[in-house]
Amino acid sequence: MEERSRLSFVNVPLLVIVIGLVTYGTVIVQSATSGMPGGAGLFKRHLLGVAIGVVAMLVAWAVDYRKFKSWLPALVALDVLLVISPRIPGLGDTAKGATSWLQIAGVRLFQPSEPAKLVTIIVMAIVISRFDGVIERPRDVAKILAFLGVPLVLILLQPDLGTGLVFVAITMGMLLIGGLKARWFLVFGLVGVLAVGIVLQGHLLEKYQEDRLLVFVDPARDPQGAGYNLEQSKIAIGSGELTGKGLRSGTQGNLNFLPERHTDFVFSVLGEELGFLGAVLLLGLYLALLITALEISASSKDLLGSLIAAGLISMWAFQILENIGMTIGLMPITGIPLPFVSFGSSFMVTNLAGTGMLLSVWARRRAPQSQLSA
Amino acid sequence: MPTFRQRLKPRFAALALIVLGVVAVLLLRLWGMQVLSGHAYATQAENNRIREITLEAVRGRILDRNGVPLVTNRMTMAATVSPTVKDDEEMLARLSNVLGISLSEIKEKVSSTRLEALKPRTVAIDVSMSVVAYLAEHESAFPGVETQQQAVREYPQGSLAAHVLGYTGEISESEFKSRPDLVGYALGDVVGKAGAERQFERVLQGDRGFKRIEVDASGKPKGVIEQGDPIPGRDVVLTIDSKVQKVAEQALKTALEDAHGQKFPKARAGAAVALDVKTGEVLAMASLPTYDPELFIGGISTANWKRLTAKSSEYPLTNRGIMAQYPAASTFKAFTGLAGLTYGVTTPGTTYDCQGRWTAMGDQWPKWCWNHSGHGIETFMDGVRDSCDVVFYNIGYSFYKRDKEELQKFVRRFGFGSLTGIDLPGEADGRVPDAAWKRAFNENYPEYRTWLPGDTVNMAIGQGDLLVTPLQLASAYAGIANGGVVETPHVLKSVLGSDGKVTLVERAKAAFRTKVAKGDLSTMNQALVSVTENGTARGAFAGFGVTVAGKTGSAQVAKKDDYALFVGYAPAENPRYAVAVVIEQGGHGGSVAAPAAREILAALLGQPITHVRATDVSR
Repeated sequence: MEERSRLSFVNVPLLVIVIGLVTYGTVIVQSATSGMPGGAGLFKRHLLGVAIGVVAMLVAWAVDYRKFKSWLPALVALDVLLVISPRIPGLGDTAKGATSWLQIAGVRLFQPSEPAKLVTIIVMAIVISRFDGVIERPRDVAKILAFLGVPLVLILLQPDLGTGLVFVAITMGMLLIGGLKARWFLVFGLVGVLAVGIVLQGHLLEKYQEDRLLVFVDPARDPQGAGYNLEQSKIAIGSGELTGKGLRSGTQGNLNFLPERHTDFVFSVLGEELGFLGAVLLLGLYLALLITALEISASSKDLLGSLIAAGLISMWAFQILENIGMTIGLMPITGIPLPFVSFGSSFMVTNLAGTGMLLSVWARRRAPQSQLSA
Repeated sequence: MPTFRQRLKPRFAALALIVLGVVAVLLLRLWGMQVLSGHAYATQAENNRIREITLEAVRGRILDRNGVPLVTNRMTMAATVSPTVKDDEEMLARLSNVLGISLSEIKEKVSSTRLEALKPRTVAIDVSMSVVAYLAEHESAFPGVETQQQAVREYPQGSLAAHVLGYTGEISESEFKSRPDLVGYALGDVVGKAGAERQFERVLQGDRGFKRIEVDASGKPKGVIEQGDPIPGRDVVLTIDSKVQKVAEQALKTALEDAHGQKFPKARAGAAVALDVKTGEVLAMASLPTYDPELFIGGISTANWKRLTAKSSEYPLTNRGIMAQYPAASTFKAFTGLAGLTYGVTTPGTTYDCQGRWTAMGDQWPKWCWNHSGHGIETFMDGVRDSCDVVFYNIGYSFYKRDKEELQKFVRRFGFGSLTGIDLPGEADGRVPDAAWKRAFNENYPEYRTWLPGDTVNMAIGQGDLLVTPLQLASAYAGIANGGVVETPHVLKSVLGSDGKVTLVERAKAAFRTKVAKGDLSTMNQALVSVTENGTARGAFAGFGVTVAGKTGSAQVAKKDDYALFVGYAPAENPRYAVAVVIEQGGHGGSVAAPAAREILAALLGQPITHVRATDVSR
């Protein structure tokens, strides 16, 4: 990096896109919280989350990701610790059945499952990068899955199905870039379908989880609970029509028809108040973010950097699909927020730290002349 | 340059495709929802946030003919519960404690499906201010519970004229289907359910207003979008004279006591009707047993409703004046007599020999005069005065032999066997039996289908299959009094406009003319006067300052004690009022019903109201 100009150390498009997303999200969160009791306080907390996130981004940017390689045991330990910390008596606090917090002396600090996503990305990147782009043998696959399995099983035991799915999506995206043979994806697909069948047939989930998963197939399943939320969300988004009802003028949101409207259902507020055009703007920003990240992944000097970027892409893409998808009835309802937009400091810090990791990979990339397009 | 990059190139492309696919799928779906179906969702969002609430108009008052208020409105604090919390058992139990009404009653009202889905259900009225304050302070502990001012009916005269006035209540599903006058109402609206409240519903109701309000997800109102104020209902003035009504109701009660004193302990029910013979105006209409209309305010409880409709209750909600059907008994002889005079079957001076036992139809079918020892030789006029059955058996038998059903046709001209057309709901039409009726009635009993001489003979003395309502009796006697013209009885005098001035006056409706000769009417008038002067009602009318024409009756009813009747009008020379009194299982018309009629006539004519203990035990 010493021979590069100052400008190329910074990926300007990525910064612009992320600043755009965070600004856009801040506007929507402001609108969503404006009509809520204590909304001003919530909005301040959102801004605080952004501020902490910016610091985290700068730190991650500065850290050379290549150093992570030698920290693997410590990182795995950290991953496990983060994932089980809400279960440790005196440290954990479980709200709403699944949202797990780390707290000390009664003060809530953060949701450890959020940074755990980043740690998992790093751990999996280190493990997968060792195969140098060819993963074929069952023992290799088993070894990789074992690294995923430890935090995944623990998170599923929380139970936090949403984060578990994010872990899986991250790993799948990284395995794609990491060179796993196509037939393995076929095997994973079959296993996935089978697992869903067994879980539903055997009623292994909590009743509310099962309802939330199935309600998007049949919204009448629980009209006052999960089905009601989905229905109200769809009404909010649909009624935004092309141009929306205007900021702070959404009736579905302001009259409390929308549940969790500053967190999980923040997209419903955006869809209602800014309409299809607002949604296009957001998805355009996301597309730009993901493509830029893909470019960073492809331009990484080493496989580790590529994999870290691929993990972040997978994490965001999955969360975008899942979050927006659930608000419009395409995906089952899980508690997954919308990257860079939803209220939630742990989440915002994680996304900005992830951005910092991308910038770190970019800053240490190979010579600029051989890009993905080359 | 690392070797992995070339190898993995297609994989970056695959990830890019996945990313593009995700965004494309989301955008397509959003296009469908927001642009293609956006309008439908917008409508749903509007329906979500806007509620239309009906604003009840203040109901019109009901006044007596002199402007005395019989039904008014008062404001009360009502507690309402939103149906959305109907399953919050624990909260409703606490509410039941605070309001002092049973949990089952609250649950029953809140779960009622008769109202608009989101309309709050009134669970209690007359909630004390301290309870209102308590509920306000503990608002969060009672979600869905509200207290608000509500106008409810008030009865300044208590249960006076309860049957004429009727009561109000929420429209039930069955009523909604069966009452064509309720078009434009919604299930659960408060409407008149009986009596004048029901009859004049449209006038009393006024025009409902509406309020379009914005509500949040919990149904809490956020603001009014549009409002249309209700137009209050108009006041209805009835022909009822509350003073006469009061006397009539008291007279019925006294008559029951008289009956008990005369060893008729089963007397529990009765009716009295007073009419203006020239206009058909109903001045009093009383029915016993009665009920307390207050019970219906804010919705009657199931327990009270059961009590009022139980078999053992003698059905206090029934307005016996127009709904109960009785044998007319000897009071019918006035019409049999008029028919006899009209068709030349008898004359005032025709004589009959009453031996007590009457065998004109053959020895195997003897009939008895109520006076088993016989009246001896009686003229037609004596027969009316003494209520001699034999005289009327003979007249009836003559009609049977003429075989033209002239008796039936004649009495129908006085309104028997059909509705009088009074402006009150639920009137019964009575029955004038004839051959065709008997054939149809006994369709499944061939041996009883033939019209027999005894049928006409029984009808001639007001028994057999003949049934009349007290109003029919009063109205028919008013016809005799009014020169053969029967005016349609009615209770509506006028309707007041919002300025309190009369806007609508009820005129005597198409009266029907019986076309009975004046001479015959005057003969009957004379005979009926002799009843109160020297005949079966002389005890009851002894010392009465006005000449009364009338007739007693004691009706035989299967498995019951005799029903006591008196029908008459006064003053006989220039008739103004007709009165009918029936006391179920009261025994003798002369000693139980006639004294009550005397009191009512005294009230109508401004005579001193004195209760007479008559001893006449004739029919």
